[in-house]
Amino acid sequence: MNSNPYRIGSFAVFTTFIIIIFSTVLMPMVLFQPKPTDTRNNYNLESSAGDALRGRQIYVREGCFYCHSQFTRLQDRGYGPLVKAGDFVYEAPHVLGTARTGPDLTNEGGRFPSQWQKAHLIEPRSVKPGSIMPSFSYLNDRDMNDLVCYIQTLGNGRTVSAYVEAPDEYMPVTPSGQALLARRHVDTNSDAASNAGRGIFTQNCAACHGLEGWGNGPNSITLEKKPANFSRPFYKQYSDQMWFYRISEGVPGTRMPRFGETLTEEQRWYLVAYLKSLPQDKEVTINSLAQLNKLTPTKLPVLTKQEWEPHSGGH
Amino acid sequence: MQSSFIDKFLSNEPGSASRNFLLSALWWSLWAMGAGLIAGIEFSAPDLIHNIPQLSMPHLRMWHVNGVAIGWLSMAYVGSIYYMVPSLCKNKLWSERLGNFTMWAWNIVMIGAFANLLNGNTEGREYAELPALLDYMVVVALITIAINVYGTVATRNVKKLYVSLWYFLGSMFWFPLVYIIGQRTFVALPGLNDGIVGWFYGHNILGMWFTTMGVGMMYYLLPRLTKAPLYSHGLSMLGFWGIALFYAPTGTHHITQSPVPEWLKAIAIISSVFLFVPVITVLTNFFMTMKGKWGLVASDMTLRFAITSAGFYLITCMQGPFQATRWVNWYLHFSQWVVGHAHLALLGTFSFISTSAFYYVMPRLTGRDWYSMGLIRQHYWLKFLGFLLMMISLTIAGLIQAAGWAFGMPVDQWSLQIRPYWFLRAISGVMIVLGQFIFAYNVYKTLYGKQVETKKSASMEAIKA
Ligand code: HEC
Ligand code: HEC
Repeated sequence: MNSNPYRIGSFAVFTTFIIIIFSTVLMPMVLFQPKPTDTRNNYNLESSAGDALRGRQIYVREGCFYCHSQFTRLQDRGYGPLVKAGDFVYEAPHVLGTARTGPDLTNEGGRFPSQWQKAHLIEPRSVKPGSIMPSFSYLNDRDMNDLVCYIQTLGNGRTVSAYVEAPDEYMPVTPSGQALLARRHVDTNSDAASNAGRGIFTQNCAACHGLEGWGNGPNSITLEKKPANFSRPFYKQYSDQMWFYRISEGVPGTRMPRFGETLTEEQRWYLVAYLKSLPQDKEVTINSLAQLNKLTPTKLPVLTKQEWEPHSGGH
Repeated sequence: MQSSFIDKFLSNEPGSASRNFLLSALWWSLWAMGAGLIAGIEFSAPDLIHNIPQLSMPHLRMWHVNGVAIGWLSMAYVGSIYYMVPSLCKNKLWSERLGNFTMWAWNIVMIGAFANLLNGNTEGREYAELPALLDYMVVVALITIAINVYGTVATRNVKKLYVSLWYFLGSMFWFPLVYIIGQRTFVALPGLNDGIVGWFYGHNILGMWFTTMGVGMMYYLLPRLTKAPLYSHGLSMLGFWGIALFYAPTGTHHITQSPVPEWLKAIAIISSVFLFVPVITVLTNFFMTMKGKWGLVASDMTLRFAITSAGFYLITCMQGPFQATRWVNWYLHFSQWVVGHAHLALLGTFSFISTSAFYYVMPRLTGRDWYSMGLIRQHYWLKFLGFLLMMISLTIAGLIQAAGWAFGMPVDQWSLQIRPYWFLRAISGVMIVLGQFIFAYNVYKTLYGKQVETKKSASMEAIKA
């Protein structure tokens, strides 16, 4: 045995520790320096209502971040556009949050009128029965106004013209997006491509999305989250890439599959051409089971609403 | 006059620093756990306390977390090692006066924390909420502890260092550094980097302080309580190096779904999974040491606390790597499941081992036998069952929340469905806090009640000699 094993031991502890600090604390600071983006929260808006930056301090002081997160994830549907790394450059101390006892507040700004926000902060249960959010009635007027002003700025940089867009990896702004475009030889505006897409759609998608794409295929009966109804005018704003992205990666949190794993790129572009060609001017809503496409002959029993939507709790 | 004043506040009496630290820990645990209980009740009855900023849930939460982590657990740890290190080195604590000085400094930090956090005077970073001045004081306190512990080991009367000492010395080396980095007092970092460093600290206060110290204490307590030799010294070294290597980079697994760099997430997740290795070696060592001695758990309450802690440690460390993997994290993150996991580690594992150390050390320091074994049993059962109830209710609540997010259900809907579990959690809080008060009562009766001084323990005599 070595005459002094502890010297070696302490040296080893020391080096290990320094290496770890280097790789997980110093290296990220050097390598990870995202540029500020335009989609970040803009606190500099002239506003008579209050001081948003001061409101942010109140947000921290009152510990709102223990219950509310401030970053949207791919699977968070209904919480607005996704965040980018550059959105957070001026956000210090960070309020990313780790628990969502309440909703995500990334894009909360503008979702409710300021008066509602104020009432909600003073007496949450008056506007949201059953809420467990604490009451912040003890805030003085100035604090309250600044806090509401801050809430209303959340996500104000992220209001983009097209509401949803595919991630950058699919758009021609990144090398991978450009490569995707370069590989594509299907003209998504042509009738021929759309006709080719129809066949693929009938085979792979109609069971859920219905023959006309109204989201009413026979499989939709069993789905808690109903398949998308492509007749909605909303879909007019979808870019080719957005369609392609959805088809390829599915919709997290729903039964929409990831067709990127089973269909070729070419087939998926044909599908895009077909989906684009569907009429999207007049929304078709499906209200009763009788209106479902039944691929004849169907053996499915006729169900009551309680039966085909067992989670609705019968009301 | 002068010297008696100093003797009173910076006593030189052997063992006094350890005892004072343990008693302070107990004192703060009552306040901090009590705050946790009130915060828990507010989830079931949000309008119970109205218009009192100091008692609003987020303020209580800040104080609860810092109070139990820096007050109760850390102080109990320091108190325990002030006893354990000298007893392993067969000498006295390097400087009892310095030890008592640290004790006062730490208590002042806690008073400051209490006053500041309940008023929302926070730096706004989870686990690092303390305002800057208090941060400096904590660093001073940690350095004085390190000096004391290293001094004791340097003047030891045995040749070989037992594995517990490795853990204590390691922790006293890296934790002050982790603390300084984690507070980010000197630098303002851009948002996401702030998050990265924040979770480096947030996880390493667990990994490089609570775990390494707690495991060191288990290594100390188990062989002594069972009077069996440690199963394998080689395994214990493997475990030590494994923890030292794999724990530190795991922090980013708290923010795997935020837009931080992918390579950093990968490092964090891989090291989290590798943590299985040290954990399994450590626990194999413990459970093999227990071989043939399990029966003792029935009668020896101190041992029962320690073994319960080891058991919960096993569960914590099975959960940890599981949650860190991307596909599980994708589902479970943001939910109360994680809160359950945090309590499993800090309450189930480290609070139990601190309590075990407390029950072991106190009689040996004061020469007084425990006032009542019955009260210790009550403490055990209230804490154990209370904790199980908390864990189960939070886990179920977490699964409901996670399902809610995954299926895009509105918050308003699932938050109604988890109300029963909030309620159970409040009840579990009542049980745990009640247990802690019984503990405190027992300690009070033992130390200040009428009792004939019985035998001073052998190891205590060794310290005095
Ligand atoms: C105990 C956890 C908790 C804390 C702390 C908390 N909230 Fe909430 N919050 C909730 C819950 C639960 C909801 C959902 C029910 C509701 O709308 O009241 C909510 C809802 C909200 C909403 C409505 C979001 C939406 O889109 O429906 C806003 C805005 C909000 N909180 C802001 C805040 C602010 C600002 C603070 C800090 C002053 C705060 N919250 C502190 C739990 C919390
Ligand atoms: C198992 C049933 C199922 C099948 C098969 C299926 N989908 Fe879906 N699809 C869904 C569900 C469920 C959704 C989610 C609806 C929602 O967003 O609420 C969805 C959503 C979509 C969306 C996204 C709509 C939006 O709002 O962004 C597109 C595009 C889509 N499907 C296209 C297809 C195509 C093309 C196919 C065939 C290749 C297909 N789907 C096959 C169930 C299915």
